Amino acid sequence: MSSIIQCRGVEKIYRQGDVEVPALRGIDLDIQAGDFATLSGPSGSGKTTLLSLIGGLDRPTGGEISIDGEPISGMPKARLADLRLHKIGFVFQTYSLIPVLSALENVEFILRLLKVPPAERGPRAREVLRQVGLEGLEDRRPSRLSGGQQQRVAVARALASRPAIVLADEPTANLDSQNAEELIALMAELNATSGITFLIATHDSRVIAHTRRHIEMTDGRITADERRGADIAA
Amino acid sequence: MTGMFASIAWRNLWRNPRRTLITLVVVAVGVWSILTFDVMLKAFGTSSRETSLRLLTGEAQIHAPGYLEDPSVARRMPTPGGSLLGALDSPLVDAWAPRVRVPAIVQSEYRTRSITLLGVSPARERTVSDMPAQVVAGRYLSSDTDPGIVIGQHLAEKLKTRIGKRLIILVQSSDGRLAETSFTIVGLFGGTQGAQDEYAFTSLRAAQGILGVGNDVSEISLFGADDANLDGVVSALKSAAPALDIQPWTTLSPMAYTIETFSQTYVGIWLMIMFVLMAIGIVNTQLMAVFERTREFGLLQALGMRPGLIVLQVTLESAMLIGIGILVGIVLMLLTVVPLLGGLDTGFLAQGMELIGMGQILYPRIDPAAAAGSCLVVWVLGIGAALWPARAAANVDPVVAMAEL
Repeated sequence: MSSIIQCRGVEKIYRQGDVEVPALRGIDLDIQAGDFATLSGPSGSGKTTLLSLIGGLDRPTGGEISIDGEPISGMPKARLADLRLHKIGFVFQTYSLIPVLSALENVEFILRLLKVPPAERGPRAREVLRQVGLEGLEDRRPSRLSGGQQQRVAVARALASRPAIVLADEPTANLDSQNAEELIALMAELNATSGITFLIATHDSRVIAHTRRHIEMTDGRITADERRGADIAA
Repeated sequence: MTGMFASIAWRNLWRNPRRTLITLVVVAVGVWSILTFDVMLKAFGTSSRETSLRLLTGEAQIHAPGYLEDPSVARRMPTPGGSLLGALDSPLVDAWAPRVRVPAIVQSEYRTRSITLLGVSPARERTVSDMPAQVVAGRYLSSDTDPGIVIGQHLAEKLKTRIGKRLIILVQSSDGRLAETSFTIVGLFGGTQGAQDEYAFTSLRAAQGILGVGNDVSEISLFGADDANLDGVVSALKSAAPALDIQPWTTLSPMAYTIETFSQTYVGIWLMIMFVLMAIGIVNTQLMAVFERTREFGLLQALGMRPGLIVLQVTLESAMLIGIGILVGIVLMLLTVVPLLGGLDTGFLAQGMELIGMGQILYPRIDPAAAAGSCLVVWVLGIGAALWPARAAANVDPVVAMAEL
């Protein structure tokens, strides 16, 4: 299977005044297309930093990251934006929706950026909302949705552009047990049915238990990379 | 895609209605003040010009060389004839009137005052001056040979005289001797106090007779047929009478010209002052809005929105906000000015207005093109100022923004 995400010697050093704080210390990582992987580790281990670098939201201090074979470390901001738009979906810890848009409009927003024709946009957005179980709630704005529902909209939005990769940063951190279980099951199902690669940074053992691959990080290094044979969610 | 941005921009505006309303008030009041100031200053300028021109000046005057520096009887010219008469009677000139105009002394049985004596042709004078219409008691002169005199009401009070009484007019005649003649007061005129104290009108023939100048005149006042082509009229007259001194009102009445010209400068200065105040308000509130939405702009970048589109999004919000403020400002200006279109009585400022040569009633006129120009300047510059917060939004570091999530 080909590597859709490839990290080679990736380093990230933050500067606080004259002090250098290394967040990543030479990460070598290959994520295959269709993987359903988790990144875990204590706070400060570098999970979120690695996701930001893979998503092109930040640039590594050293090393190289390639997405689908294309090196992104030196890519201009606008091209990185295009890369995220076309290939990467994000799901954040908090319910990161555009507050003035309804659930449907939040999903359509991405499709509009992708210049999907209007006739196709509405049905496609409704379909992904249906897939995440939000049928009937399309016209509600985020303030009128529960935390779990908002996170489902965020997943729907991440999926609407049919990305190759979904990067999720602590997606269940603010959800109760039931909503967390449902979200994990949803992501696992989407991975199984659509072949979308999921890389999830999480502390949540329930999420880790559902994935085929579990990567442990400590102090900016990968300390374990465990692969499991079967797709547990399937 | 612009439709989506416009829709989001509109909704974003009302996320914080209080802040939006404050900005709207700032822009609306600023625009209102710019437009209203413009209308009123133009009304002042027009009033000053009209009052001055319709008093005695006209749009242009013809004199013998040197008359403007030394308005004595010696500086006179023949009654128009030949090519000058042809030019005056041409379609270029709407109306003209000859005058004898010399310094004089007026004496009643009680007092003496220095004045300017004007010998006029009443029928022609009515076409170039409002003075005949300002008679408040008695009558104006009836013909070129009317033996009466019309003086200002205020001068009559100073001289302790009245209609029907006689006055002595003392002038230096063409042969250098002092000539005196008595006239019966047939009318009193009102208007500005300065004019009432300064001028006395007799018929043209009567004045020519006292001065012994035959048919000569001191001055021709005229109005061109086309306001916009006054330079053309003056040129044509100069060609017809190259030996005479022909001047437009802009030279003859510098105060009126200055007021009219400078009103544009004042409006420009006021526009800049108000714009700076508005820009501070717009930039301040939009920066606050951007800082409050740092997470959102980080999110938009994470979703793949290009920085240029984020600038467009925030700029659209500012453009809408300023646009609405401008519309409200226009409505406020109309509410202020429209009731005054019939005339604004500045009686309470009468003395001050008179000093700068304006009439008591101002007639504000709305100039749609000028108003649209001012609004466009405010809108474009306002959007320019709003680019600062827009760029701040586009430069949000998504990693920092994500950390806030």
